[in-house]
Amino acid sequence: MFKWLDPYAKPQVLFATLLWWQRWLMPLSIVVLLLGTVWGLGFTPADYQQGDSYRIIHVHVPAAIWSMGVYAWMAIAAFIALVWQVKTAQWAIGAIAPIGAVYTLIALFTGAAWGKPMWGTWWVWDARLTSELILLFLFLGVMALQNAFADRQTGDKAAAVLAVVGVVNLPIIHYSVEWWNTLHQGATITKFAKPSMDPSMLWPLLICILGFALLFGALTCLRLRTAILQHEAHRPWVRQYVQEQQHATV
Amino acid sequence: MNPRRKQRLLAVSGILVLLSGGVGAMLYALNENVDLFYTPSQLIDGLGEDKKKPVVGQRLRIGGMVVKGSVRRDEHSLKVSFDLVDTGPVVTVHYDGILPDLFREGQGIVAQGTLLDATTIQATEVLAKHDENYMPPEVAEAVKGIKHVAPKQTYPAGTP
Amino acid sequence: MSHANVFRATFQRELKLLARQKADWVNPLLFFIIILTLFPLGVGAKPNLLREIAPGVIWIAALLSVLLGAERQFRQDYRDGVLEQLVSARSPLVGYSLAKIAAGWLGSGLPLILVSPLLALFLGLSTEALTAVVLTLLLGTPLLSLLSALGAALTLSADKGGILLALIILPLYIPLLIFASAAVEQASFGLNYQAQLAVLAAMLCVALALVPLAVQKALKLNVG
Repeated sequence: MFKWLDPYAKPQVLFATLLWWQRWLMPLSIVVLLLGTVWGLGFTPADYQQGDSYRIIHVHVPAAIWSMGVYAWMAIAAFIALVWQVKTAQWAIGAIAPIGAVYTLIALFTGAAWGKPMWGTWWVWDARLTSELILLFLFLGVMALQNAFADRQTGDKAAAVLAVVGVVNLPIIHYSVEWWNTLHQGATITKFAKPSMDPSMLWPLLICILGFALLFGALTCLRLRTAILQHEAHRPWVRQYVQEQQHATV
Repeated sequence: MNPRRKQRLLAVSGILVLLSGGVGAMLYALNENVDLFYTPSQLIDGLGEDKKKPVVGQRLRIGGMVVKGSVRRDEHSLKVSFDLVDTGPVVTVHYDGILPDLFREGQGIVAQGTLLDATTIQATEVLAKHDENYMPPEVAEAVKGIKHVAPKQTYPAGTP
Repeated sequence: MSHANVFRATFQRELKLLARQKADWVNPLLFFIIILTLFPLGVGAKPNLLREIAPGVIWIAALLSVLLGAERQFRQDYRDGVLEQLVSARSPLVGYSLAKIAAGWLGSGLPLILVSPLLALFLGLSTEALTAVVLTLLLGTPLLSLLSALGAALTLSADKGGILLALIILPLYIPLLIFASAAVEQASFGLNYQAQLAVLAAMLCVALALVPLAVQKALKLNVG
C-alpha cells in the first residue's frame, strides 16, 4: 500500500524532494504569515467583550494548535522509525522537536500575555495550561534524550520511544477544557458546528493557522536537509553536492 | 493452539482488559467533581446524585455571573463584594484585591477561596472567564443585545 | 522460554538481591523520611501550615525517593552482560521487564506505604487524610515504578544517565502528583475522593498495559 513512499526513505531522494518543497514553502509561509498577522493585529474589528486584547489570538491559537500538530507529526515520524526502522524518519524527530518546543513556548508566552489583562493573572494551574507545559517538557526531553548518547543511533531510537509514549498528552490537552472546569475558554474553531467567531475575525485567524503550518513545513524541510547532510557526510553524493554549492557561490 | 500463539493471545487480551479498565475508571472519574469547582446552585443545593455540599472552611472554586447592581466597594480599601448567580440561588463573594479588566456586571468569573458560611465565600483570587465567542461590538449588539461597556464605566456611582 | 518462566526466574533473583543488598531499599526509604523531616524544619513547624502542605510534600518526597533508586534498576544487568544475553537469546523481555518493575516496586514503593503511618505524626495528618495517603500510595507507587523503569531503560547507555532520567521522567509524574495530592487534600476536608482514586487507577491500568512494551523496546535498542 505504501510502496510508492519507499524511495523517499532514501536520504538522497528525500534531500532533493525537501529542497524542492522548501523553495516554495519558505517564501509562501512568510507571505501568508505577514498577511494573516497584519490583517489580524491591525485591521480586524475589536471584540465586543475584550476590546483590542483579543487580537493576540491570531498568534496564540495558531501556535497552540501547531504545538500539538508538530508533536503529532514528530510522533508519526517516531512510529515509522521504530516500526519500519527508517533512518530518515529517525532524523526527522530531531529536526522537528526544536520547532515544536518553540511553538509551544510561543503559545505559553502569548497565552500569559493574554491572560494577564483578561483573566487577571499571568498563569493559573489549570488543566489546559499545565498539560501544555508538560508538552513543552516532552519536547525538551526528546531533544535532551536524543543528544545524550555516545552512539547517535541509540539516541535517535530512545527519543523515538519517548515521543511515542508522550502522545497520551495530546488528547489530554485537547479535551482538558471539556473534561474539567478550566478557566481557559473552550474551542472556537475546531467545533464541528459553526465556528463561534465573526467571519471578519475568523478569516485572518485561519490564514495565520495556515501560515504557522507552512512555516513548520518549511523549517522542517530546512532542518531535515541539514540533518541528512550531517548524517551522510561521508557519502560521495554529499561531497559532490557540497562542491557544486561552492562552485555556485564562487 | 500452539504455546506461542496462546501466549500472544494472553498478552493481547491482558492489554485490552487493562486499557478498557483504564477507560472505565476515567469515565467514572469524569462524572465526579474532581477539581472542587461549584456553581452557585451546586453550592447551595449540593452536587451530583447524592447532593454533596461543601463544608464551611473548605477551599473551593466557584464560577458564575456577577449579579447586576450587586458590586459593593469599600471607599478606603480594595475590599469589594459582589453576588454570583447561575440559574437561581445567589452566593456572595468577598474579595480584597485588584479585579481583572474584564470584571464587570453580567460577566462570568471564577473565584477561588474558602467557604465562610453556606452562601458566602472569602475569595483569595478572582479571575474573569471569557467565552469562546468573538465578535465586533456591533454584531454583539445585534446578536446578543449586549452593549459594549468599557470596564471603567461599571464602577458604581459615587466612587471615582 | 515463556514470559511466565522468565518472569518467575527474574523475580526470584531480584527478591534474593533485595534480601541481601539491604541498602537498595533501606536508603531510598531513609531519604524519604529525611526529606519529610526537613520540611517542618524548613518552613516552620506551624501545625496548620504543615497540614496544608502535607499532601504535596509527601508526594514529592515519594517520587524523588523512587527516582533515586531508578537509575540503578537495569544498570547492573547491563554492565555484566545479563541483558545482552537475554536479547541475543531472544528470550521474552516483557517478562523480564515486568519482574524488574515488580521487584523495583517491592524495594522502593512498598516500604514507603509501610512507613506512611509515621507521617501522620510528623505532619499532623488526620486519620482520614492518612487513609487517603495510604490509598493513593498504593495506587500511585506502582505507577512511579513503571515510569521510572521506562526512564531507566531509555537512558541505560546514555552518558549522563542520572540527571537526564530525572528530566524526562519528572514531567510524566506531574499528572500523578496533581491527582494524588488533590485526593489527600479532599480527604483532609472530610470529602470523598473516589474520583481522584479512579483517575489514579485509570493511569495505572493504562501504564501497566503499555509501559512494559516500551521498556522492552528501550532495553533492546540500548543493548543492540
